[in-house]
Amino acid sequence: MSSNLYTYGIIEQAPLTVDVTGINGSEPIRTVDYRSLSAVVSEIETMEPERTDENASAHDEVLRTVLQSDGGRTVIPMRFGMVFKNENALKNILRNGRVAFRRSLNDLDGMVELGVKLVTKEDATVDRPAVVEDVSTRLREAADTEAANDRYSDRLVFNRSYLVERDAQTAFDDAVSEIRDEYEDSMHVQYNGPWAPYNFVDIEIGAEGH
Amino acid sequence: MFVVDDLLINPFVSIMEAVHSMAISEMYDTTEIKNEIKENRLLYELGERSEAEYEQRNEELEEQLEIAREAHEQTRGKVEVMR
Repeated sequence: MSSNLYTYGIIEQAPLTVDVTGINGSEPIRTVDYRSLSAVVSEIETMEPERTDENASAHDEVLRTVLQSDGGRTVIPMRFGMVFKNENALKNILRNGRVAFRRSLNDLDGMVELGVKLVTKEDATVDRPAVVEDVSTRLREAADTEAANDRYSDRLVFNRSYLVERDAQTAFDDAVSEIRDEYEDSMHVQYNGPWAPYNFVDIEIGAEGH
Repeated sequence: MFVVDDLLINPFVSIMEAVHSMAISEMYDTTEIKNEIKENRLLYELGERSEAEYEQRNEELEEQLEIAREAHEQTRGKVEVMR
């Protein structure tokens, strides 16, 4: 059989039926189970899928759909490009990493990731340290944990990810709305998510994809 | 100057090679290009750049990134410039 298994993430073992298209247009999205863990996969021809915009958003889209399925699941996201030759290779990874995966699933139980960016409008000047201080203080109140992301552009004043309990998401939404109201004259506020918690899991998988 | 240091330490490195490789490091800094790719995406998402502008710029940057990677590949192991 020439198909390889592209892996999106790991969830608690449970039946999964989602209607979404994966990497390289692959379908269906299904699971490979090992004890209490399920890996979310689809079959693809190549071992090295190209990292195009379409594929990157397909990867995200699958994870977001799984995240919202069945009344909300916890997902450990895999980074882009994890491909396994067959079910056995993938089950080996689940077996070897089961302690770390279980711990992450417990830590992330009921949590989603939300992202907040503040970007200066063209030619606007802002008191950056003051904005960062104010915004981070307000958001921290509604979140469990935060992670700072790269400020890859001079226009980016603030770029952080937050781990938020599903039940607390409305409070977080409100905090972001207030921030937007206050700063919208000088800055764009980009609020996105919920994502699988990419920035809050740290599992190294050896022998990448093989 | 680090070029001179290199030459003192490694007499087998010709000055042309050292200068060439230094230029490559500066011209083909992949981090810089990757950041520009992300910035381009961000400005598109925020509506400051049209889809056409975004796609054109993205294509240019992806090409630059490819060239930069190849340039690094070719010089790797020949000359250590950054010290």
